[in-house]
Amino acid sequence: MKFRITHSTFYQYSQQVGLCQNEARLQPRDFWRQQCHASRFEINPEPSDFQERSDFFGNRVAYFAIQQTHQRLTVTAISEVTVFPRQIRNELVSLVTWEQVRDQLQSQSQSSVGWATPSSMAGQTQSQSQGQTQQIDVQDELLEAKQYLLDSPMVATSIELANYAQSSFEPGRPLVEVVADLMQRIHTDFTYDPTFTTIATPLSDVLHFRRGVCQDFAHLAIGCLRSFGIAARYVSGYVETLPAPGKQRLVGADASHAWFAVYVPGTGWLEFDPTNNTLPFDQHITLAWGRDYTDVTPLKGIAFGGGQHSLSVSVDVLRLD
Amino acid sequence: MSEANGDIGAQYYATKLGVYDEMVAKETKVLPHWERFMGSIAKLGSEQLELRRREAQRLLRENGVTYNVYGDTQKLARPWRLDPIPLLISSEEWALIEAGLKQRAELLDLVLRDIYGKQQLLKKGLLPSELVFAHDGFLHPCVGVLPEKQRQLTVYSANLARGHNGRMWVLDDRSQAPSGAGYALENRTVMTRIIPEIFRETQAHRLSGFFKALRKGLAELAPHNKEDPRIVVLTPGSLNETYFEHAYLASYLGFTLVQGDDLTVRDGRVWLKSLDGLQPVDVILRRVDDSFCDPLELRSSSRLGVAGLLEAVRRNNVAIANPLGSSVLENPGLLAFLPRLSRYFLNEELMLPSVATWWCGQRRERDFVLQNLERMVIKPINRTTGNYALFGGQLSSKEKEQLRATIMAKPHCYVAQEQVGFSTVPAFIDHRIEPRFAVLRSFVVATSEGYQVMPGGLTRVARQQDDFIVSNQAGGISKDTWVLADEPDKQVSLWTQLGRDVILSAVTEPLTSRAADNLFWVGRHLERIKASARLMRTLLPKLTEAQELDDPVDGQCLNVLLCAMTQITGTYPGFILSNATVLETPQNELMALAKNSNRAGTLASSIQAFAQTAFSIRDVWSQDTWRCVDNIQRRWQQRVVNNDCDLEQLQKYLDDLITGFVAFIGLTSESMTREAGWLMLDSGRRLEHALALVGLLRATVVQRHELALQNQLLEALLVATDSLSIYRRRYRSFIQLPMVLELLLMDETHPRSLAYQLHQLSAHISDLPRERGKGQLSEEECLILRAYTDLRLVKVSELVKVDDKAGVYSELENLLSAMTELLWQLYDVIAQAYFSHSQVPQLMTPTQPEDDL
Repeated sequence: MKFRITHSTFYQYSQQVGLCQNEARLQPRDFWRQQCHASRFEINPEPSDFQERSDFFGNRVAYFAIQQTHQRLTVTAISEVTVFPRQIRNELVSLVTWEQVRDQLQSQSQSSVGWATPSSMAGQTQSQSQGQTQQIDVQDELLEAKQYLLDSPMVATSIELANYAQSSFEPGRPLVEVVADLMQRIHTDFTYDPTFTTIATPLSDVLHFRRGVCQDFAHLAIGCLRSFGIAARYVSGYVETLPAPGKQRLVGADASHAWFAVYVPGTGWLEFDPTNNTLPFDQHITLAWGRDYTDVTPLKGIAFGGGQHSLSVSVDVLRLD
Repeated sequence: MSEANGDIGAQYYATKLGVYDEMVAKETKVLPHWERFMGSIAKLGSEQLELRRREAQRLLRENGVTYNVYGDTQKLARPWRLDPIPLLISSEEWALIEAGLKQRAELLDLVLRDIYGKQQLLKKGLLPSELVFAHDGFLHPCVGVLPEKQRQLTVYSANLARGHNGRMWVLDDRSQAPSGAGYALENRTVMTRIIPEIFRETQAHRLSGFFKALRKGLAELAPHNKEDPRIVVLTPGSLNETYFEHAYLASYLGFTLVQGDDLTVRDGRVWLKSLDGLQPVDVILRRVDDSFCDPLELRSSSRLGVAGLLEAVRRNNVAIANPLGSSVLENPGLLAFLPRLSRYFLNEELMLPSVATWWCGQRRERDFVLQNLERMVIKPINRTTGNYALFGGQLSSKEKEQLRATIMAKPHCYVAQEQVGFSTVPAFIDHRIEPRFAVLRSFVVATSEGYQVMPGGLTRVARQQDDFIVSNQAGGISKDTWVLADEPDKQVSLWTQLGRDVILSAVTEPLTSRAADNLFWVGRHLERIKASARLMRTLLPKLTEAQELDDPVDGQCLNVLLCAMTQITGTYPGFILSNATVLETPQNELMALAKNSNRAGTLASSIQAFAQTAFSIRDVWSQDTWRCVDNIQRRWQQRVVNNDCDLEQLQKYLDDLITGFVAFIGLTSESMTREAGWLMLDSGRRLEHALALVGLLRATVVQRHELALQNQLLEALLVATDSLSIYRRRYRSFIQLPMVLELLLMDETHPRSLAYQLHQLSAHISDLPRERGKGQLSEEECLILRAYTDLRLVKVSELVKVDDKAGVYSELENLLSAMTELLWQLYDVIAQAYFSHSQVPQLMTPTQPEDDL
């Protein structure tokens, strides 16, 4: 499935801005089920400094600075992406239990041998870990996955999250089932309400009031999974929307979207969309992934001056074939 | 001799020892390297030593050596405390410590480079990834950012203590922005003044070599302008606990002291915003925590950093010491792995062991910790304010249970350490020497020739016996540290031995726009205080006169002056809008104007503002000038604010206050070069002087009064503007309004006149650097020209025509109000043109993702 995505952000200021620096994660990354053929920015006023790189998580980042005074700023990213209709579906995946996954993720530091020497202050060593000779690939993948077990700026594990997730984590249940069940429950228990949350709403409020948007639901699921020792990451992107039967497709009425992915050792990352209660397939276009929203904020910037600012966003996901 | 010993308590000292002592070890005899020193101290005697101790405190206070305590509601900087007995370390022992510190710095540098580079330690399992990734000091955006360099960890510091068995241990490593080297230097400076003869004969190593290495090491980091790099010290500002040191080091090393908003990133380079425009910055000595340094890529709420800084680092356009992300080394969990890492990287055992540490992220260690809680000190790997270290032995069984549950929930976030005892050192407390637990903070700097260790350091002791907490926050006492040399150490001058053409070329230090702003306001505050103080001094005697003589004119005059007091200090309602009783018994309100520091406009609050503004640019003042600032503020605080003084005493203190300011002005005029800095200070003074004078005239003589009252008021006016004697000499006649106005408004030769202020302002403004169109005047030049010309065109005879209906001198009022207006406009224009850091940065709110359903 091939798409053209146009994502525009407009800023308007009440006073002149003398300088602004920005970081955009608006260019889709490549991975096994997606390829980005072309991606470009249209920025007005034109930035005097523009630099692309990839970040710690492998996402594409563009840094740009507008160094002349301006009172409005438009940032548009236009990308063409093919999403392949592929899914991880092997038998192993549907059999491996969540406990097995949890134990494997912990194995690296837990299977360690050696003793601390508590009686003296000298020569004290921490346990030596094993596994140095194991396959490097799996090790690297595990190592990478393990960082998604830890608390991140917007997602901290807690007893409350664990309590909510508890009923999905039946002993001996395959992980895929656990996550599907959790996704289903979030979809049922929580009300989609864009007026309730902002970027800064803490997860505990989302859990307490059972309301939120896609970002909150993704964070919620990630927090639940991490509370049980399962590695989960946040995915930002878009989802194709189809017009209601007989209606014209509305240009620019789409929006950015977020979901999450779960790591299964030896297999890879399985994606889940709790907002829509679906498994992302060929209509989910991925921009970037990270520990949570803060790692993949599509566009952020610091402006000097400017007074009050207003901003609006328009997204268009157009199917090309 | 034995009597002298008894005098300082040396006999008694030995009986109080419990553990290893630095002076006597485990014996009862003073160690050889202490003998000579203790002999000299004993000869000096307790009384002399106490005098020297006080002298040290005086010097430190006058030099402005302070340590700010966060959360101190008084906002007062705490004076630094120095014990007159240093910690002595023998040269043999120092050789071991020095080698150990160098080894440790090398090792930590390798760890740092690996964590932000190839991460082999994580991949090979030598360092658990959770330990690194869960630490707040690990900054994801900094991975892969460090340029290829011999060493990344430029400045390093370690806290050392000696255990019961006499071995030195490392308590913790400091890699974020180690502080204390400046305090160590200041301690040394003071010690060589209070006991110069003892210092000379003891042959201790000097410290200047270390600072020379620091300069060299920092200069070598510069990616550009290697011959003459611009190095800045980035400080969070004057409220930071170690701000004194930032200012002190900047001026000692000849670097520019800046705050985040003094810098800007353009074209991927860092620039200093100065009055002369943008100046490139090559190296930043960072005293701001790394996560606060770039609101774009790191902590977005930070106002202390520079947006785009990390991008400039990424492009290798600026070097930061220590690099962003280096606080990852302060993770206490790392201590558990250092022996292994030392063998891996260096194939060596650690020469200086760390305190025994167990990281709870591993099951075996965790089980051990949970079973032995009562012997342990438990710390989270991330230092947060509030709960830092918990002593297991002090917890109730319920608290222990809670702690166990907390650790179990996120075991990788906790470490446990063995509770260690420190050795004691002699400290001079209450007139005799007593043993106190001590911690030595040592300092290391990287240069191209390797790591260099300061031969000395900052020793701190607890104030109370048996107290292990020696931190400054907890009120500890500092000590100088003397590393004994085999032969006398030559004094290395920081300045004379450097190749001048290599690092130093005689350039004018750029004045940051923030410093310019503060200088301007120092000038404004001081003139405001002077004007209020002079007026108050003028009216206080009238208060007693009016009561004694009972002449209605005296009373009326007093009332006008009291109202003027409210007007020029802006302390409404004050004497103006309140009920009549305030005017009848003005004493309370006058006292409040003198001593209430919580009310804007009072003398106390203006003096506080003056001192704080001066402190925030501590680096621009000479030692003498600072002493002057300190005296002004401390005396007023002691005598007036914290004391119940009467109006008579107040009169005397006002005299002193004015003298203090005159001394300050004299010193700045003597010691400041006539560059942008001085221009700013003096422009602030002139502007405020003009505003205050205009305000006083409007409050006193614009209203037409009975002749007798007017005469009294005119005299008071001349007294309050310090112009009475000049009036008498010049006019040799009775005091009359036209002549008074001519003297105070028009007389350009009179330094208290409005014309003089405007003339000076005009000259300063044309000297300030500014981009101008050809032949065109800048906006501020236009304004001052207009003000000056308007004044010059005035005829005094016009001014004294009375509008009979209103009962005011309306022409005079028109002139004065027009002047006020122009002067305020002038301030706005100057602020916009020169104090550009005032442009407030804002976070452009990230877009809220919205769903499609």
